[in-house]
Amino acid sequence: MGPRTASVEPKFVDPELRQTQANQPTVPVWDRFVRTFHWGLVGGIAAAFATSLLLPPRWTLVHAIVGGISASLVLTRLVWGVFGPTYARFSSFVRGPRRVAAYGRELLHGTAPRHLGHNPAGAAMIVALLSGVLLVAVSGAMTLGGALRFGPLAAVMDYASGSIARELHEVVAYTLLALIGAHVLGVIFESRRTHENLARAMVLGCKESRPHDDVPSPIRSRTGIAAVVGVALIGTVAVAAVAMAAREPKGIPAASLDPTYKKECGECHIAYHPSLLPSDRWAAVMDGLARHFGENAALPAATSQAIRSYLTANAAETVDTLPANELRTANPTDPLRISATPFWTHTHHEIDPATFKAKPVRSKSNCAACHGDAETGMFQPWNIQIPVPQP
Amino acid sequence: MRLATSLAILGVAVSALSALAAPAAQQAIIDQYAAEAKKADPGFKGFNADAGKEFFFAKHTGGTGEADACTGCHTTDPKKAGETRAGQAIDPIAVSVNPSRYTDPAKVEKWFGRNCDTVLGRECTVIEKGNFLAFITMQ
Repeated sequence: MGPRTASVEPKFVDPELRQTQANQPTVPVWDRFVRTFHWGLVGGIAAAFATSLLLPPRWTLVHAIVGGISASLVLTRLVWGVFGPTYARFSSFVRGPRRVAAYGRELLHGTAPRHLGHNPAGAAMIVALLSGVLLVAVSGAMTLGGALRFGPLAAVMDYASGSIARELHEVVAYTLLALIGAHVLGVIFESRRTHENLARAMVLGCKESRPHDDVPSPIRSRTGIAAVVGVALIGTVAVAAVAMAAREPKGIPAASLDPTYKKECGECHIAYHPSLLPSDRWAAVMDGLARHFGENAALPAATSQAIRSYLTANAAETVDTLPANELRTANPTDPLRISATPFWTHTHHEIDPATFKAKPVRSKSNCAACHGDAETGMFQPWNIQIPVPQP
Repeated sequence: MRLATSLAILGVAVSALSALAAPAAQQAIIDQYAAEAKKADPGFKGFNADAGKEFFFAKHTGGTGEADACTGCHTTDPKKAGETRAGQAIDPIAVSVNPSRYTDPAKVEKWFGRNCDTVLGRECTVIEKGNFLAFITMQ
């Protein structure tokens, strides 16, 4: 720590700002909507991170729902920012980058006033947080639609664009997490600087009114218009989302398996969906039935030919799902084994090998033991339920 | 009354016939193997259930190495369900608990063809197949 920093630091706290007297008058700053929105968003974002980072993949749909709710909250806040009262209005606190930089210099020199509402730096953070939540939500819906082929954007996305959206979603989500950390640090800093509990003010809504406060000029809330616009906006988004979700996405495999294939192959192992391997590897599997993963699984020629035709005609190339795209990369040393592919190995490496050995899974090839929708070829994360190993 | 009586008699007759039909279907397959055995060896006297039992419980060599005994998948109790290496249940092979077993010659040949090769690395002889069926149809 250099001497310059040391000489500047004490100036952060202007003694004048600390002059709080007993029975200081309090004034309402954060209206009920702003407070409800703030803590609602805290809950929504916390739930979104928990359902993604802490909980198993079967929480993915809950994750998507809390993400959608959080984004809807932000949309209502945007409406309130246009029609709400003084301290909620964007026009009363959102400032340009020059004003924000000037405020930073005022802080460094100890001349920054106490803002009863958002200060310019805090306002910049709020703009960043609100747009961050919207970006995470949009990229999340794109990931759900493209990578998982589900939800409102499934019909307009494909797997390739969904994979890009997924990377974007992660980057933006972690950036949002960093912004939230900076926001909390900013609140702690400003609470100490002005000797008041800003988090408490966001709960109760009132703040002390002090001399030298920077107070914006009062604006009356237009609650009626805000309610109409808010309901119209959320309603439009919801109706559009439902209508979009009802459209049939392209590249989704047929609902049922060929009965001969299911009967003949499903006797020894689950009938793997044909989209889990590309056609050349299905052909190789069918050519090698006399030595099929260490067993003779020979079939009468006519049956074998019928199954071969079915598998190659419905192979990975014919659909655009996550498993069809990701499992296409083979392991060169064991090219026909799905559970040897790099993607399979990567996505199952956290699972205890004992879980595969124990009942009721018994084998890595028994996809359906954990993937409730294995037969559909979709393998959606929300259909994963790893059973408790039995002795 | 007359109609009911004749229906009852018919019912008893049909169920008696179907009770006989299942073992008959299995016996037909054993008889077919016996005929083949006799053709190959005129001195053939009949299948040996004890030898079939021994064959079923024995450890074999020459297979693919993934399974060296029938009991590996079918368990040591033919009345119980077995399990494939891929975790799928196999219906019990004992006829007493699974009367549909060994009634379809094509299915019997298909599974002898597959499993003998996997476990022994060769086709089973007619004697081995017949001995095993003589054992398992009494289970």
